[in-house]
Amino acid sequence: MKFVDEFRDAELGRMLSEQIASIVEPGRHYKIMEVCGGHTHTIYRYGVDDLLPANVELVHGPGCPVCVIPMGRVDDAIAIARNPNVIFTCFGDMMRVPGGHGTLLEAKADGADVRMVYSPLDALRIAKANPDREVVFFAIGFETTAPSTALTLMRARADGVTNFFCYCNHVTIVPPLRALLESPDLRLDGFIGPGHVCTVVGARPFEFIAREYGKPVAISGFEPVDMLQSVHMVLRQLAEGRCEIENQYTRVVPYNGNPQAFRVLSEVFELRPHFEWRGLGFIAQSALKLSEAYRDFDAECRFDVPGVRVADPKACQCGEVLKGVIRPWECKVFGTACTPEHPIGTCMVSSEGACAAYYNFGRFARTRELV
Amino acid sequence: MTAPIYDGAIVGATGGRQVAGPSCNDEFHCITCSDEGVPMRVEELLGTGLARCIDASDQRSDVMTGLVGDVAVGDVLLVHAGAAILQLPESEHGPGEERAA
Repeated sequence: MKFVDEFRDAELGRMLSEQIASIVEPGRHYKIMEVCGGHTHTIYRYGVDDLLPANVELVHGPGCPVCVIPMGRVDDAIAIARNPNVIFTCFGDMMRVPGGHGTLLEAKADGADVRMVYSPLDALRIAKANPDREVVFFAIGFETTAPSTALTLMRARADGVTNFFCYCNHVTIVPPLRALLESPDLRLDGFIGPGHVCTVVGARPFEFIAREYGKPVAISGFEPVDMLQSVHMVLRQLAEGRCEIENQYTRVVPYNGNPQAFRVLSEVFELRPHFEWRGLGFIAQSALKLSEAYRDFDAECRFDVPGVRVADPKACQCGEVLKGVIRPWECKVFGTACTPEHPIGTCMVSSEGACAAYYNFGRFARTRELV
Repeated sequence: MTAPIYDGAIVGATGGRQVAGPSCNDEFHCITCSDEGVPMRVEELLGTGLARCIDASDQRSDVMTGLVGDVAVGDVLLVHAGAAILQLPESEHGPGEERAA
């Protein structure tokens, strides 16, 4: 298949692996953070980190929207879902995220009408098919997903649908990156940027990382050769004393993004003053809510929600994993009390969460390494 | 190093299972967390801003096209969560046989 086979080509992979090994300085430890759950998934699924020298460490950042949702927001979602006239819709992984009072899946078992959808458009279709019910869509995701929600709401309004609501938890990628870069307990050498987020927003919003913090960035695709090439780009910048934004994923990412997406987003959404991120705390202007023009579709205006902040379980170290301070297997409950079947923390729920990705794909390699 | 390379292809933990990037049917995958982008070919126009599209696995779905301007039957779009986020150049993507990310 075009754009798949060549980006999984073994010879290219070997060549890049050798080139990477040749440009790293012995004795120096490199930490490169990927900030997209899709990249975390690729790294573990294809064993990309096994093709890197031992002194090049890939750190998994807060790029999985499920993993950064705080427990209080899940409780609010469950409170909405328990309304008898509500059909509550969400992406599959959100159903298993534990709040302070269980999961949406448990609420469904208790009788709440919770349904999994593949897109917000599916949720709108359910609303049109059930005019006597109120249909709520649990909107999550970064800038890649937010335009889909926006287009759906614009369509709902154009079609005169009045029983469709959005529980908006869309987040933006730049503020948490800035928060991470300001974090005193984290030392990073460079970043691998999120390919499809950049298809929407472009590479330009990431320029501050190079300009203000002196760290190189490579915007990357999602195949293993993409990832290796991006790691090589970051390491080559470090070796040559450069720091800039390089676009490895030129086949998909326009440097200035999608201007129509910017127009749609600014019509439907506005920035929240602050939003809580799991493990990172409250970050200013890091999330979206519906604009005044779309207030009639806002589930938080239509339904009463507890709005209570819930502390993470004491045993859970998702916050440190999300910041890259510890690696998944260094968490006290990893693979014992916390597994994909019975997750305690969000990083173990989403398949793109660092803990679940490592549990599913990486732990066997590590077992071999330890033996 | 444990090289995950066999028979000329990087196959990793799936042991060479032929998957073309993450898909909705993948048990180890979430649409939004993976930042999924699936190339799909336009099969039928369904009115303003909506098109029925088909992917490399012959899965059909309705896709919102408001972000990519006018589309025509045969165009190839990069689709995320029901919305096209980019129109892919046809010269690089033969209809219905490719898949990125």
